[in-house]
Amino acid sequence: MTEFFQALLQHSFLQHALLAGLLVSISCGIVGTYVVTRRITYLAGGIAHCVLGGMGFARYMQVVHDWAFMTPMLGAMLAALLAALVIGWVNIKARERIDTVISAFWGLGMAIGILFIAKTPGYGEDLMAYLFGNILLVTQRDLLVIGLLDLVIIATALLFHKQFVAVCFDEEFARLRGINTRLFYFLMLALVALSVVLMVSVVGIVMVIVMLTLPAAIAGRFCLRMGSMMALAAGLCALLTFGGLAVSYQPDLPAGATIIVLSGIAYLLSLLFKRS
Amino acid sequence: MNPHPIQIENMDFSYGPIGVLEQVNLTISDHEFISVVGPNGGGKTTLLKMLLGLLEPQKGSVSVFGKSPEQGRKWIGYLPQHASLDPKFPVTATDVVLLGRLGKTRTLGFYTKADHEAARNMLSRVGMDKLRNRPLAALSGGQRQRVLIARALVSEPRLLLLDEPTSSLDDYVERELYDLLKELNRDLTIVVVSHDIGFVSRYVEKVVCVNRQVHIHPVGEVNESIIHDMYGEHVHMVRHDQEHAHD
Repeated sequence: MTEFFQALLQHSFLQHALLAGLLVSISCGIVGTYVVTRRITYLAGGIAHCVLGGMGFARYMQVVHDWAFMTPMLGAMLAALLAALVIGWVNIKARERIDTVISAFWGLGMAIGILFIAKTPGYGEDLMAYLFGNILLVTQRDLLVIGLLDLVIIATALLFHKQFVAVCFDEEFARLRGINTRLFYFLMLALVALSVVLMVSVVGIVMVIVMLTLPAAIAGRFCLRMGSMMALAAGLCALLTFGGLAVSYQPDLPAGATIIVLSGIAYLLSLLFKRS
Repeated sequence: MNPHPIQIENMDFSYGPIGVLEQVNLTISDHEFISVVGPNGGGKTTLLKMLLGLLEPQKGSVSVFGKSPEQGRKWIGYLPQHASLDPKFPVTATDVVLLGRLGKTRTLGFYTKADHEAARNMLSRVGMDKLRNRPLAALSGGQRQRVLIARALVSEPRLLLLDEPTSSLDDYVERELYDLLKELNRDLTIVVVSHDIGFVSRYVEKVVCVNRQVHIHPVGEVNESIIHDMYGEHVHMVRHDQEHAHD
């Protein structure tokens, strides 16, 4: 562990990684709380996996057609927002069997991504990074994007806290009080989409859903209000990210997977405590 | 003349081919205390949802204080059948009541001081002041219903709609709740859906019987033949008479 701290002082890539983890933790706490209390973890998982389609498409366009502006992160963002819109719309229109619909998009998004990556010249190491994350490769530019998206998420959550709580807790009542619940439902899904994109850079597509839900789920066992649940979830997420980085450094383990394993252990331990 | 809280004229409603409500005419005046009774599936909740603008009639008209239900519902305080809420949701009694301020408070940012004051006043009105910071999960069924009534009242409604507020409560709590409603009735019109026609008849002035068709009766006129028409064989009236014998 001391080695990790020494390395942290020396290497900017570690500092970037840690900073990225801390920034992502804030939106993880806020949005994770929505996802857990509104019970849309599976929907969030669907959005996360659709991201591969966007990343694969972006990388393909970059390499094959020289669309330099089309970074995988931009592709991820477009795909996540599109998936949120489409899945959310289907969820409202066809109330039955939403899990089937989500599964369809889940697989479809991934398949599209794999097809694009297969047709992109190179060795396909991109695919591994997209799926399992590579927090140690976070650049300064990534940090800037992460910070900006974070600001958007925090500002939206603060400005519309009342409405989001109402939509999560009792949508019908909120509608009767004159709240445009559909608008806020989609806005919430858009926030989910943006946080998914942030988290993909840390833990990768496959494990996003764990990072989005477990800290909030642990916090939910101890917190009595939405605000405190968000704060504790963000704190836990930061702690787990930091812990994962520190533990994985010396034995050279994949950081993303280490963070997830720590989160899983923390969640299982939290189940041993009685709900407050 | 002020428009009536509720005015329904020649209304039909069906879910697809299945008629739920037929030829409904109903007028409810200011400060009435009305009970809506009828068998399950008879259309009671459907009727409430039409008043709230959650469902639209195929024929006829529904008006709430002279407006369409969508416009008029801001004057309605509504207590849904409480089964749909997640009891583990991280909110306190105060948080739940504050939801009733939506639409009255500012759009951006948190609830104002005035909202918090209104919520606190309403919680003490329903006898929940001391438990205002308790999480919803730690409240009993009766306490939860009181919180939800406070939520319905905190928007300063002119009409209170309650959908089976006492279905999960024991007799003692039910009585307390109706005493509270009776008190509130001084200031507003109340419509309460109930299973137990015998019990509510002590409190309300009129009974609206809903079973595809809708008829309104002064409570004194509700007799066995009316109930028999509505419910068929299972006549609740026996218990009603027994209860009165004890009074």
